[in-house]
Amino acid sequence: MGVRPAEGAGAATAAEAPALGYARAINQALGEEMRREERVWMLGQDVGRMGGVFGVTRGLFDEFGAGRVRDTSLNETFIVGAAVGAAMTGTIPVAELQFADFMMIAGDEVFHKMAKWRYMHGAKLSVPMVLRLPTGVLGGVGAEHSQSLEALGMHFPGLKVALPATPADAKGLLKTAIRDPNPVLFFEHKGMYRVKGPVPEDPEFLVPFGEAAVRRAGTSATVVATGLMVPRALAAAEALAAEGIELEVIDPRTLVPLDMETIVGSVEKTGRALVVHEAVRTAGAGAEIAARIQEAAFFALEAPVWRLGALDTSIPQSPDLEQLVIPDKAAIEAAVRELLTL
Amino acid sequence: MNELDLYREATRIRALELLLHRYIEEHGFGGFWHPGLGQEGIQAGAVAALREDDYLFYAHRGLGYALAKGMSPVTLLADLFGRTGGSVGGKGGGTVHFVDPERGVLGQGGTVGSNFVLGAGAGISAQMLGTDRVVAIFFGDGAAARGTFHEAALTAAVWKLPLVWICENNGWAISVPIEAQSPTGNIADRAAAYGVPGVIVDGQDPVAVREATLAAVDRARAGEGPTLIEAKTLRVRGHYEGDKQSYREDLGEELEVPRDPLKIMREQGVPAAEADRLDGEAQAEAEAALAEVLAMPEPDPDVITEGVWA
Repeated sequence: MGVRPAEGAGAATAAEAPALGYARAINQALGEEMRREERVWMLGQDVGRMGGVFGVTRGLFDEFGAGRVRDTSLNETFIVGAAVGAAMTGTIPVAELQFADFMMIAGDEVFHKMAKWRYMHGAKLSVPMVLRLPTGVLGGVGAEHSQSLEALGMHFPGLKVALPATPADAKGLLKTAIRDPNPVLFFEHKGMYRVKGPVPEDPEFLVPFGEAAVRRAGTSATVVATGLMVPRALAAAEALAAEGIELEVIDPRTLVPLDMETIVGSVEKTGRALVVHEAVRTAGAGAEIAARIQEAAFFALEAPVWRLGALDTSIPQSPDLEQLVIPDKAAIEAAVRELLTL
Repeated sequence: MNELDLYREATRIRALELLLHRYIEEHGFGGFWHPGLGQEGIQAGAVAALREDDYLFYAHRGLGYALAKGMSPVTLLADLFGRTGGSVGGKGGGTVHFVDPERGVLGQGGTVGSNFVLGAGAGISAQMLGTDRVVAIFFGDGAAARGTFHEAALTAAVWKLPLVWICENNGWAISVPIEAQSPTGNIADRAAAYGVPGVIVDGQDPVAVREATLAAVDRARAGEGPTLIEAKTLRVRGHYEGDKQSYREDLGEELEVPRDPLKIMREQGVPAAEADRLDGEAQAEAEAALAEVLAMPEPDPDVITEGVWA
C-alpha cells in the first residue's frame, strides 16, 4: 500500500522531552499503565504475538504474557463485548479493533453495551474500558478501512471520545483514558503512527480530558482542527503568516468532553471560525462545534462559522484520489482567505 | 440445595408469574412482559447449582432467574413497574433490567443474545483475578441464532472460560417454530463445533436441570471450560403478555402447564403437605410484594439524566 510520508512532525510545542513516534508513545502508555495496575489488560486481533498490525503493541506480549495480552479471533462482537463484561467485573480492558471502521461490526457492543450498560442498570455497574480505534486515511486502504467515525461517539451519551494529534497527547490521553471510570473511544490516527514529537517520560504524565490545546496563537481567525488536520492547519497557518494572517489553531483533543470554553474564548477574540476535520463534512463533529460556537458567541462573529471536511463520498481505494477527498493545507488556506473576506 | 428448597424456589417463581398474569389482565401494563410460565423448573434448577458469588446473565422470560439468585421479589417487581424501590432506581419498566452486583446479577441487554459476549468477558475477569467464579448465561432457542453466540463460544472454548450456557429451548422464537429456524433438532448439537460438552436435559424436571448444571459448573470451576446445556421446555403464554399466538395450533388451556415442573417434583417425592405449605407461602410473598411495590412512588424525573457517567 502507498503509505505516505509522516505528516505533522514538530506539531507539538517544543519541550525537553525526548522525541518519540506516535505509535511508540501509545505503546509506552500501555506498558506503563499495565505495570502500574495489574488489572489492566489488552485484547484484540494480532495484538499479542505480532504486536498489532501496525506494530503499536509490540513487546507487550513478551513482557506481560498471553494472559494479559490476548490475541482473539476475527470476532469483533467478542472483542468489544467481552471487554464490556470484563470491565463491569473488576478489570480494566484495553480492546483494539484493527480499524476504527470495524466499530460497525460490533455496533451493538460499542453503542449500546459500552455506552448504556451503566445507565440501564441504575449506575450499579461501571464500564471502565478503552477501545483503541486506528482511524483515518493511510494511503490506499479503501472505503471500509479509512473512515473517520468519531462523531458517532458524540451521538451516544455515555461514551468519551479522544482524538490525539501529537505523540505526547497520544500517550497522555491514553493514560487518562485507562484511568477513567467511563468507557472511552480512543481514535488514534494510523497515518500519524510514525510522526515524532517530544513525549514526557514521567509515568504520571497525563493529558486531561476536556482541555483543548491552543497549538498556535493568533488574532485573525480561529481554526478548530482535529487529528491529521491539526498539522495541516498549522502548516496553512505558517504559510498565511507570511501574508500577515495570524491563525489561532485549537485542537480540542477530546470531543467528549468538549472544551467549548477555549474555543468560544478564541472566537470572541478573532470573530471568525473555521472547523476542519477529516471526517465527512455532513453531520461531522464540525457541525456540532459550529452550532455551539454560534449559540455561545453569535454576537462576536463577523462571519458565518465555516466547516471543512471530507467530501460527501466514500474513500476511494487509490492513494492519490484518497488525498483529494480530505482537506489539505491548500484547502485550509483557501478557506481561511475567503472567510476573511466576509 | 435440597429438593424441598428447590421446590420452594420453583413455586415462588410460579406465584409471581400467575400474579403478574392476573394483574396485567385486570389493569393492563405500560411495558412488555415476557412471561416465563412453565419454565420455572429451569430457572430454579439451574440457579440452584450456582454459588452466591457466581455471575448471572439472565434472559428476558420472567423474573425467576434473579429471584432464585436471591434478589427480593419486591426489588424485582419494583423494577418491572418502574418504581423507586427497584435495583435500577426507577428506570426499569416492562422487559426488565435488574442488577445486584453483590449476588453476581449483572443485568441484561435489550438486544436479545447480547449476553453471550458480555458473559464471556465476566469469565475472563474471573479467570484473571483468580476468583473461581462461574458465569451462567441464559438464553432462548431464538437467541441461539445470534452471531454473538458463535463469536463468544469460539474464543471461550479456546480460552477455557468458566461459562455455563443454559438454553431454554421452548420451541418458539416469537412466532417461528424450532423446525423452521434450526437445521438440527437440538441446539446442543452446536456444542460439538466448539469442542465443548453439549448436554440435553428435560427442562420440566428441576432436579435434572440442577444436576446437569452442577456438572457444568464443576467443570467450569475446575478450569475445563464452558458447557452448553439445552433444557427442553415449552412456552405456555405468548412471546409477550397480550400476544394472541394466532400462529400456534398446539395451545391448550390458557394457564395450563403441560408437564408442570411443580407436579413433577411432587411426583418425585416432595411431600404434598410440605408442597402445599410452600405454595401458600409463595402466594403470600408474591401478593405482599406486589402490594408494597404498587404503593411505592414513581421516580422523580431527575433520575433521567443520572448514571450516564461514572
